[in-house]
Amino acid sequence: MTQSDEKPNRPEPEVSRVGAPFWEAAGNKKLLIQHCKACNENIFYPRIRCPKCHREELDWIEASGKGVIYSYSVVLNNAPSGFLADMPYVVAIVRLEEGVQMLSNIVDCDPDTIHCDMPVEVVFREVGKFTLPLFRPAEQI
Amino acid sequence: MSRLKGNIAVVGIGEVPTGRYPERDCMDGCVTSAVQAIADAGIDKNEIDCVVPCGTVFSGAYNSDLVTSRVVEELGLSRVHNNVQVFSGGASSASMLKVAGSLVQSGMARHVLCVHSEKLGTGLSGQAGIDLFALAGIHREWEVPFGQHYSTIAGLVTTRYKYETGTTDEQITAVQVSNRKWAELNPNAMFRKPLTVEEVMKSKMLATPIRAKHSNMLADGAAAFIVTSAERAKDLTETPVYVLGSGGRVTHHSLSQEADITRFGYAEAAADAFEEAGLSPKDIDIAEIYDSYPIFEIIALEEMGFVERGKGGAFFLEGRTWPGGELPTTTNGGMSSQGHTGGGGGFAILVEAVRQLMGKAEKRQVPDARFAAVTATGGTYVDAQVEILGNEIS
Repeated sequence: MTQSDEKPNRPEPEVSRVGAPFWEAAGNKKLLIQHCKACNENIFYPRIRCPKCHREELDWIEASGKGVIYSYSVVLNNAPSGFLADMPYVVAIVRLEEGVQMLSNIVDCDPDTIHCDMPVEVVFREVGKFTLPLFRPAEQI
Repeated sequence: MSRLKGNIAVVGIGEVPTGRYPERDCMDGCVTSAVQAIADAGIDKNEIDCVVPCGTVFSGAYNSDLVTSRVVEELGLSRVHNNVQVFSGGASSASMLKVAGSLVQSGMARHVLCVHSEKLGTGLSGQAGIDLFALAGIHREWEVPFGQHYSTIAGLVTTRYKYETGTTDEQITAVQVSNRKWAELNPNAMFRKPLTVEEVMKSKMLATPIRAKHSNMLADGAAAFIVTSAERAKDLTETPVYVLGSGGRVTHHSLSQEADITRFGYAEAAADAFEEAGLSPKDIDIAEIYDSYPIFEIIALEEMGFVERGKGGAFFLEGRTWPGGELPTTTNGGMSSQGHTGGGGGFAILVEAVRQLMGKAEKRQVPDARFAAVTATGGTYVDAQVEILGNEIS
């Protein structure tokens, strides 16, 4: 999947009040995660209150963008309408260094080379008027 | 621990065939299965004082009808105190049994009609069905934009499970074959022709490693059951099916937020249910396990303690779950063979457990079955629900 293959009919995120700063930062190629000043918990996805301590003192930290693939699946047929033009595409759960998990896509590689626990790094791609944080294989540390 | 053990019974069931029935309105199945259940229970229709309709997803307008007591009106029920919709996706049957049982146990209701009907097979076009299940229960800000849908959800779980346990695609596929062996004996099942591992492995790859024949098929279907007190059940039937133990764990909403996608909450839920029932896995005669994709049947059997972690796929492949096997499993054929009717997937499995324990399962009857373990889960496998049922009080 390359940028030129992206179709505008891919569904865009329904941006929430608390998620808006994340999407704005992604537009500037920064991967933000929430952080609770009260209990020091790193949080993704962004929440209204800290899910651990329920306090509201939440700020943002910039993630390193590095993580590993917890699991993945390569979509070859019967995708949702907005993704038919993107097939084959790779859905993955990525575990970031900061200890949170996020759903994303793995790009810039042969899907057959992907495996669980593979190191990945963030890469930003424009889809419609949004910039999505996606991941590509990283150099072995 | 709940106070339902031995106090609550299911005394009647009804079900219409699952499949594609364009001429059958959703309400047709609802009314037909409810009338069957009332007759099976041997009660007068006006003894029903509470109706619990399951939610539906194929039509918001139809669901509004259910919320606003259309079932009461259609059935001409004159003494209903409350119409209470209960909906937890595929886990609705577990929630409905708990709610109905609690209403009876508290004295708020005496005879509760629980009913489900869906029209996912013919109420939606093929791509509309795919698109509905690319949104239903999937986070619209953090997962939908990345192409998550139910095939990738099953793909993510299966990929990690294979990685951690070394289970093969052939072993995972054996679940479909086992379910089909049972469906061959079930006149209400959508798919009844014999199925082989090779046939599944040759079917189209959807989202690795999930192939078309690893998937369930969206279908039309309906079923119903009647819940009353154990005391009242003695007047009605010689085969009441008692609620002996219940457990449940909600672990996430979005699959990406689940800490261990190879286990979920079945171990804890089953421990609670078995403790309440005073039973253990070795006492169970039938495992009625919610499938929807084969991996979830394997994970549930392992986590509940029926088979060692990583050995579930081989357990299916060796035929130990088949008719005549040591642990008859998902004896209606599951959603892969009976068909996927939304909230009705778990509902059909619960009704099948009751049918087996009543001795009414005909060609697929498990001889001398006393105790069954029943599971259900909703949405993106957000919860693990376990019920222990029996035709005697443990």
